[in-house]
Amino acid sequence: MMLVELERVNKIYNKGKANEVWALRDADLRVGEGEMVCLRGPSGSGKSTLLAIIGCVFPPSSGRAAIARRQLARLPDRFLTIHRRQTIGFIFQRFNLLPALSVRDNITLPLLPLGVSPSECRRRAGVLLERLGIAHRENFPVRMLSGGEQQRVAIARALINDQPLVLADEPTAHLDSALSREFMAIMADLKAAGKTIIVTSHDPLVAEHPVIDRVVEVHDGRVLPAAAGPPAGDSSVTDHGCHGVSGHGVPQDGVPGDRLHSPSSVGGGG
Amino acid sequence: MKCFLAKQFNLLDFAFSSLWRRRLKNGAVLLVFAGVIFLVASFHLATTALTATAERLLASAPDIVIQNMAAGRQESVPLAYEQELGGLFGIKKVVPRIWGYYFDEIRGANFTVLGVDPARMPLGEHLGQTLAVGVFPGAGVSGEGAAAGNAQVGTATGDGAAEPVDQVAAGVAPAVLGSLVSASLEVGKGDYFSLFRPDLSLKTFAVSGLFRADGDLLSGDLIALHLDEARDLFQIPSHLATDLCVYVYNPAEINNMARRIAEALPDTRVLTREQIQRTYQAVFGWRSGFAAVLLLAALAAFVILAWDKASGLSPEERREVAILKIVGWETPDVLALRCWEALLVAGFAFLLGVIGAWIHVVYFDAGLFRPVMVGWSVIHPGFALVPRIEAQDVLLLFSLTVLPYLAATVIPTWRCASVPAEDAL
Ligand SMILES: Nc1ncnc2c1ncn2[C@@H]1O[C@H](COP(=O)(O)OP(=O)(O)OP(=O)(O)O)[C@@H](O)[C@H]1O
Ligand SMILES: [Mg+2]
Repeated sequence: MMLVELERVNKIYNKGKANEVWALRDADLRVGEGEMVCLRGPSGSGKSTLLAIIGCVFPPSSGRAAIARRQLARLPDRFLTIHRRQTIGFIFQRFNLLPALSVRDNITLPLLPLGVSPSECRRRAGVLLERLGIAHRENFPVRMLSGGEQQRVAIARALINDQPLVLADEPTAHLDSALSREFMAIMADLKAAGKTIIVTSHDPLVAEHPVIDRVVEVHDGRVLPAAAGPPAGDSSVTDHGCHGVSGHGVPQDGVPGDRLHSPSSVGGGG
Repeated sequence: MKCFLAKQFNLLDFAFSSLWRRRLKNGAVLLVFAGVIFLVASFHLATTALTATAERLLASAPDIVIQNMAAGRQESVPLAYEQELGGLFGIKKVVPRIWGYYFDEIRGANFTVLGVDPARMPLGEHLGQTLAVGVFPGAGVSGEGAAAGNAQVGTATGDGAAEPVDQVAAGVAPAVLGSLVSASLEVGKGDYFSLFRPDLSLKTFAVSGLFRADGDLLSGDLIALHLDEARDLFQIPSHLATDLCVYVYNPAEINNMARRIAEALPDTRVLTREQIQRTYQAVFGWRSGFAAVLLLAALAAFVILAWDKASGLSPEERREVAILKIVGWETPDVLALRCWEALLVAGFAFLLGVIGAWIHVVYFDAGLFRPVMVGWSVIHPGFALVPRIEAQDVLLLFSLTVLPYLAATVIPTWRCASVPAEDAL
């Protein structure tokens, strides 16, 4: 089953203004359940933007984006939020933690508006902190933690609601190689537990890690076609001609139903 | 529903901890806010206490007062006017009064001396109710303390009241004192004191009773005597009085009666109770004053906000809102959190301010406003205040202070929370 289906997705920042940026152009991407994918590409190529759309942070400017079988474009902002917190655990590049809050309070933040009781919050946080090896820091304010510890807090927060899809943006950018390896080990555990994982990274330590099923190359706002879908037979032909956002009339369907549960690895294709 | 409550509980809990995290800033806001509410509430409590007392006492005032005017100044009224009024239909009673001011040079205090003949007043019992202890000179009525049986200072000139007079030495006149007078003269019930006549001969009085403290506004500096004793003290000839009090049968006719009296006695000034009451209200200026202060308070509350919030959210606050949104908080959740925070601050400040004001007014007699009130000052500055708290006043105060704060806290957050959170990523 496909958890992520992007078709001819465009994203334009500051549309119509002088500082307009065309961050994504006709990007196609499919990620199956249980897959672990790495988005790779030079700086400014649009990896974070792609991940944000997958993460339901904002809908695409145009194109079809379905995350866990929900069409983002059709969801009002409010449902986007609800869908996001049910489906996606997001580990941000700069962690986006509240520095004054304790480790536990940061982790349980997503649970508060769900009306989860304080004792249940504590219990769930405790389990994750134990699993990530930072239980001894539970009551520390996050600003007192090292970078690696902060990242584990961010991971714990992304997992607190047990969402099926885990996204990580440049997870190892602020870590040394030992911590990076540790991060990948945690991700391997998550994958073994059945999560679908998408990371962006320039770090070969991530892209070439054996646990990665597939590396998707992003260049200049485009997803390189060879990497667009998991099964090799899936020829998502992308028209490279320069057309406008609204210029594509024919939706690309004809995706065959034989979704394989053993996605092909396209290791280090670039 | 259960989920909603659980969520609100979580948000409240979170609001508490985030207020605590920024306790210095929030403490400062709380203090300023509480200070503003303290001032407004003190002022309001003091003025309601004053007006309540004034209105209650004025209720026992005569329907109409007749003063004799000469060259624009008040002069004594000839008692003969009583006869002239006798012919007017609808007058129940005409009672002469003698009053004036007595300056005690030794203590530097100014007292008001009032002489009436209670036997002729229709409001005898009412006079008794104004007393804390003792009896009113010449009246067969007594205050609460007297009812308990401890007031036995006799009446000097009562008309048939069978009070024993043997405990009062001959030539000693009974007097009822306001609390300020008794404190200033250092006398209590049963004690003696003397005042000078204009010819500097001494007249001796026995304290037969004390006015209740909650009437202090009008009676604090009062020495109430029998009409004849007051006449003797001030040496006023027996055919004159200071003014005449008129009581009428039909209260609806008061204005009409006043006009007819003014026609019958063209050289007099005729004041109705309503006019006197209006004078008091003008003195307090309380309605407009209170409104002005409330508006000022609302303004001050807004200034606090302007300082605190109106500059928009700080970058950290903006970031916090964005982070809450990206971890799955909906806009209403963020707003509810801010509402709880604002309610906690403003509510606590409100409580603190109102309780502080109550203590200020009741236990410290509105000490901070003393200079202002002396300025008003027909009234002696040393009155005791007994404030009343009315629900609608509290509500008004609440809606003029807490609600604007709430609005000014929530609106910037709302503006910030309703834009996409992508900036924080
Ligand atoms: N909020 C924004 N407003 C305007 N332009 C933006 C915004 N975010 C990103 N961009 C632009 O969109 C393009 C793609 O940005 P994006 O962050 O997705 O790249 P990236 O591949 O993640 O780069 P990096 O590897 O440096 O993180 C860049 O040119 C960037 O300047
Ligand atoms: Mg990026």
